Amino acid sequence: MLTNIFISGLGGQGVVTLANLIAQCASEHGLKVSVFNSRGMAQRGGRVTSEIRISDNKNFIYGARISSGQADILLGMEIGESINSISYLKELGTAVILDYSFIPSEMILKKEAYPSQKETSELFLKKTKNLFFVDNPVSPYNIFLLGVFVLLIPLIDKELTFLTQSEVEKSILTIIKRETELSLKTFRQGYEYGAKLAESL
Amino acid sequence: MKKMIIGNQAVAYGALSAGIDIATGYPGTPSSEALTELFNFSQKNDPSPYVEWSVNEKVAFEVATGAAWTGKRAITTMKMSGCNVASDSILSVAYSGTRGGLVIYIADDPGAEAGMPEQDTRLFALQAGLPLLEASTPQSAYKLTRFSFELSEKTELPVILRLVTSVSHAQEMVEGDYSYNRLDREASFERDIFKYTKAGSAICVGQHETLLLRLKQAERIVADRRINRLNCRNCSDSTGFSVVSSGSLIPYVNEELMNFEDVPHLALESIYPLDENIVIKMLKKSERVLILEELEPVVEIMIRSLANKLGWCGTILGKMDGLLPRTGKYEREVILKGLEALVRGNRKRKKHENEPIVETPSIGFSEITGNKQNRNDLPPVSIKHPITFCAGCPHRGTFMALVRAIKRNRMDRNKIIVTGDIGCTILGMNPPFNSCWTEVSMGSSIGLAQGFVRGGIREPVVATIGDSTFFHAGMPPLINAVQHRTGFLLIIMDNGWTCMTGFQPNPGTEERFQGANTRQVDISRLVQAMGIDDLQVINPFDQEHSEEVLSQALLARGVRVVIARKECAITVARRGEVESVCVVDPELCNFCKRCLRETGCQALFVSDYEDREIVKIDTDQCNGCTLCITSCPTDAISTGKIK
Repeated sequence: MLTNIFISGLGGQGVVTLANLIAQCASEHGLKVSVFNSRGMAQRGGRVTSEIRISDNKNFIYGARISSGQADILLGMEIGESINSISYLKELGTAVILDYSFIPSEMILKKEAYPSQKETSELFLKKTKNLFFVDNPVSPYNIFLLGVFVLLIPLIDKELTFLTQSEVEKSILTIIKRETELSLKTFRQGYEYGAKLAESL
Repeated sequence: MKKMIIGNQAVAYGALSAGIDIATGYPGTPSSEALTELFNFSQKNDPSPYVEWSVNEKVAFEVATGAAWTGKRAITTMKMSGCNVASDSILSVAYSGTRGGLVIYIADDPGAEAGMPEQDTRLFALQAGLPLLEASTPQSAYKLTRFSFELSEKTELPVILRLVTSVSHAQEMVEGDYSYNRLDREASFERDIFKYTKAGSAICVGQHETLLLRLKQAERIVADRRINRLNCRNCSDSTGFSVVSSGSLIPYVNEELMNFEDVPHLALESIYPLDENIVIKMLKKSERVLILEELEPVVEIMIRSLANKLGWCGTILGKMDGLLPRTGKYEREVILKGLEALVRGNRKRKKHENEPIVETPSIGFSEITGNKQNRNDLPPVSIKHPITFCAGCPHRGTFMALVRAIKRNRMDRNKIIVTGDIGCTILGMNPPFNSCWTEVSMGSSIGLAQGFVRGGIREPVVATIGDSTFFHAGMPPLINAVQHRTGFLLIIMDNGWTCMTGFQPNPGTEERFQGANTRQVDISRLVQAMGIDDLQVINPFDQEHSEEVLSQALLARGVRVVIARKECAITVARRGEVESVCVVDPELCNFCKRCLRETGCQALFVSDYEDREIVKIDTDQCNGCTLCITSCPTDAISTGKIK
């Protein structure tokens, strides 16, 4: 088994923390996991991505990078950056995308149009029907998205079923040092939201 | 013991395990975390090595060299551009050699994910005549770091350890001892002018001969220690193909070869000098060889010339035949393109010789490539989130004041050349400031500005530089300007830290943040001592005063220096010292968007209020700098609400 997860978002959204939470669970489950963060511009409002590769092959060393078209799962934390990452998604891969847009002030001043949820869906649907949009996310978004994702896993990828509610809560307690209670609460809210999303399918 | 760490940290723990006494470096993405880890270790542990963030890479290398010449083990860390700065000394020390293990850790950046030229340090190793090792994973970075000290001491040569971004920033479980194995060597140094000076051609040519002998010795040690592997699970059944990969590409090539047991794979982690024995072994089994390496065809040049020397008449596929690119990071698509060409050529040959077409067991390649990513499905829209100054960054205030001062003097912004420099200050090139015109190398803003003046530009020329960059390489060009009376305006943005690379201390950092036994160097005293014509110090959050000072400095003559002094907003925020944030009174905001237009601050966003739009401030991001207040014509923004 080899699963590639690509996360994209903006500096300050907690992309790296989200990756660490997933990696921690995989590691606790005895799987091999690597993470590659590109976060040079994290403080400066720029694009941040995280590449996670999880495998159960103890004897094989995988490189940490995910090539274009190789991500089984794309977790998008911002509309524009999700679109920018679409080339990483496999044909028929799964995308879970937050309906949150951060419009650069240049675009506001020039009155340029920012892609809507509808336009974004159309783009993704050309590549995969496995698309989930998360409306009205609750802050912190990274944890909320994780909650939604964990509930959807049985529908998405049988090999990721180690990412259970209780396992992720354990890793939140290990990794999140500040406002841990808020994170646990937000995670559960995301999980409940995911349940509603799954029902509506 | 196992820990989840990145490649750079693996280098740090490999060096601790090898018992280093000294570690030096200058920050530079993607290398910085190596020395950061060692610096943090030294602050918390006793015994620990001596660790310093040096003023620049050349000095860092010299400090490490001096220590290595006393018999101690030393490491110095830098990004590839830093190697250019240190190169003058590295080449000289290569000829002299070393006593204690001396390792130069350099991180390269194929794909330029961190910016700057895509240069290939492997070529520098050829130029310097130094062994170069390149790790394929964080785990191998740990092991190779330890081995590089051994190799350095056995050959008496400094050793270059190279990682690329994909490895230096990759995080995985790394097995290591995570402790400091102090060696307790006595420091000693003997006068030996034949070794340690360059006085006279006989000495220099003799050192060159010694260097070449040592390189031969390095090749033998690398072969004995089996650093390079010829992987083949079933080679007796060879199809006549082989693949060679260099460093970071090894695991990706293995991944593609997983289903093709009969393709021998020569995985090179010791790049220079070429491990000729193992290459010859591979060539003897092969008729067609594919060489996979990012950036320049370094391994390819060496293997082609060895093949030529041996009279081997097979086919080599790589970059020099135009098959594979010399730019960018190699994705799976490129690796598959190479493998496909390797296999396809084989079928053609069989056909030509009128033999029955043998379906090679490697047929699966085309199945995979049939699925390959279609380049045309790139998104039709691409959203650019321009990187800008952090919320609360004092540099924003400096560039706002500069833009305002130019306007106040009724000067044409399109004619005022502003040279930029390396680090956060270069973000002045982006909207809304659009100020910086050039970015070349550390300290170059000051030299270039003098060239523009001497070239005959009539309008005032402005150079902009950050504190750390000024200490690193900005002082010699400023002295040059004073000596030759070349007048221009230099703005030094002094925020007390080296921020772009992750908030490392520099000579201007307050002593209380630098660690024990350090001294802060004051830029204002420094530039005055150089003999500049005028010095002004501004607080960039005091826009009125800053604009006034800059508008006069633009019009003045001689070498004018303005120091814009305010600590980095992020370091202040991390200490929890932000006292207030800015808030918008929705009743007063008339949505003129002047704050967005002038500050470009990312804490500002557009929001609905009743039936209209207004600008609001994200209090999580705001660091209370008050610059937006100076832009607001309706006094809608004020400070308040403590976080």
